[in-house]
Amino acid sequence: MAKRLLQGNEAVLLGAVKAGATYFAGYPISPSSEILMAASVYAASHPEFRFLQEEDEIASANAIIGASLAGAKSFTATSGPGFSLMQEAIGYAHKLRVPTVFVDVQRVGPATGMPTMPGQGDILQTRYGSSGDYTSIVFYPSSVAECYEYTIHAFNCAEESESPVILLSDAFLGHLNEVVDLDTIQVPVVPRTLEPLASGHTRLFSGVATYPDGEPATADGDEFIRQYEESKALRLQVAERYAFYEYGWNKDSDTLVIAFGITRRIAQPLAPYFALFRPIRIWPVLQDQLREIAARYKRLVVIEGSDGQYASVVERVLYRDVYRVPLLGGRMSLEAVREGLDRIGLLPRELAETAVS
Amino acid sequence: MSYKDKIKTDLFPTIWCPGCGIGLIMTQLAMVMDELGLDKSNTVMVTGIGCTGRMGAYMQFDSVYTLHGRTIPVAEAIATVRPELNVIVVSGDGDLTSIGGNHLLHAIRRNPRITVLCNNNEIYGLTGGQTGPTTPVGTKTVSSPAGSVYSPVNLQGLVNTNANAFYAKTTVYHQGQLRKAIKEAIEWPGFSFVDITSQCIENNGRRIGFPSANEMLNYFKKEYRQAPPGSTQLAYHQLGIVKGTPATAEPVPAGAGSGKGSGEA
Ligand SMILES: Cc1ncc(C[n+]2csc(CCOP(=O)(O)OP(=O)(O)O)c2C)c(N)n1
Ligand code: SF4
Ligand SMILES: [Mg+2]
Repeated sequence: MAKRLLQGNEAVLLGAVKAGATYFAGYPISPSSEILMAASVYAASHPEFRFLQEEDEIASANAIIGASLAGAKSFTATSGPGFSLMQEAIGYAHKLRVPTVFVDVQRVGPATGMPTMPGQGDILQTRYGSSGDYTSIVFYPSSVAECYEYTIHAFNCAEESESPVILLSDAFLGHLNEVVDLDTIQVPVVPRTLEPLASGHTRLFSGVATYPDGEPATADGDEFIRQYEESKALRLQVAERYAFYEYGWNKDSDTLVIAFGITRRIAQPLAPYFALFRPIRIWPVLQDQLREIAARYKRLVVIEGSDGQYASVVERVLYRDVYRVPLLGGRMSLEAVREGLDRIGLLPRELAETAVS
Repeated sequence: MSYKDKIKTDLFPTIWCPGCGIGLIMTQLAMVMDELGLDKSNTVMVTGIGCTGRMGAYMQFDSVYTLHGRTIPVAEAIATVRPELNVIVVSGDGDLTSIGGNHLLHAIRRNPRITVLCNNNEIYGLTGGQTGPTTPVGTKTVSSPAGSVYSPVNLQGLVNTNANAFYAKTTVYHQGQLRKAIKEAIEWPGFSFVDITSQCIENNGRRIGFPSANEMLNYFKKEYRQAPPGSTQLAYHQLGIVKGTPATAEPVPAGAGSGKGSGEA
């Protein structure tokens, strides 16, 4: 195939299909709805691909778990309010060790928020949104081509880690149109790992703590910890193979900018003045890479579409203060980046001058 | 083969209270499964959270023990991906009609080929006997000390909003009728719902004046009547099966390949 103009959300659908997805369930919500609509169109001409527009996001999240157990690579797509409704099911998928993919195209929250201005306020929700302890794997691309590429990685990683993997996007990225040549993106596809339902076993896929034979283990801490540690170890080990990030711009600067998703694109004019660290794997946090790279810089600045969600994670990992440039209220623009840098006294003079002219 | 092969008898005694109605449903379901040739290569169980939901752990099938209220989306997705399977949901009245009520409403509308067995003990059993959407008006429970206030949900009416759906009303006392209802529900080529009145002796029955499960069963015997054959609408406390028009002309055989998929119970 040759070059084509493609939208971020559509690229997610194409990536899912490339990864072998055959089941989509979802509920319309901007700015993710193009994924649902594209899935319905694709299903209309590909009977092996099943599509269901559900009654709500709770049904969608539980349906993709059922579909995956039945043998289909499955996924859903939503945005903040719907993603909140899916949290119980995400924990359930973690407990069951079901591979599946949740796509969250972020908008400004909380609640219905600002439909549909772009935001990045679901960073912590992707890690801690469900109850209890579990180990999330989350990717966040920052171009249309990457939406395609990391959707395939998300499906692969879900299979290998036996867990629900989350692909983050945002209103700008989802609606961004770019010229791409998908043929230049070659990601080998990991085949199905889970033996489908009704393969002759008597397995119990239980959200309740149980022993392998199905007996309740609701009061056995040892068994709980054994199962938890086993899942955690598998996920951390698999995530190692998906430690994607970008390190670039002006590496000789004394200041490192940390930005991801669409924010990294917005901040591009800062390239001559600052170094850049862009985590693509948001969770588990790229601790070793952050520590090693951040050690070379006097100052760290996290530019993000939330009030310091990722900045707080960086501080925790590095035990050092970072400067924050929160882009709130949907104001994800170079102008807002400039203002934010100016507030903390880090706006390069040349950039201040271009702003004036 | 015996119906006992469908049950993990090595896990007995079950977790259910002595006298609970759930075991009576499991036995009849196992008998129907045996009769229809349902086995672990053609059948999946999906159960919810509640005392009833524990049934999946006791049966010799792959079984999905879902979140509270979420059996139907899971079951429908399984039936979509694997249309050749028999997908059997067993859950409580609270799970299916309260927290899962929206899914029930929409599954009825979409008519997937899944069988739903609702253990209707008119109470939230597992959580200690609170009132729910199926509790009769006036029933005193631990969360309705002056008697339950609101009218119970009309399950028959709900299911029959789809002209293709199957609704059966039965009780655990009426074992033959229960078996027939389960069997026909599994054979039904679309959405089927079996509304099974049963007893939660521990967290409901004793509190409303029944000394033991026997008295509750006798109450079902006395109170419930068979509806006249061919009834299209079951009156209060009437037992029977109300079938819509099957969505497909040819019913999908329940135990595909078993050759046992027909006949009356
Ligand atoms: C999201 C959620 N809310 C509440 C509960 C607590 N809970 C567990 S079972 C149950 C009700 C069970 O009643 P029913 O479905 O009628 O089943 P029964 O125990 O009577 O068989 C409730 C409220 C839960 N597990 N999850
Ligand atoms: S609490 Fe009620 S429903 Fe639950 S096992 Fe005991 S008798 Fe049965
Ligand atoms: Mg109940």
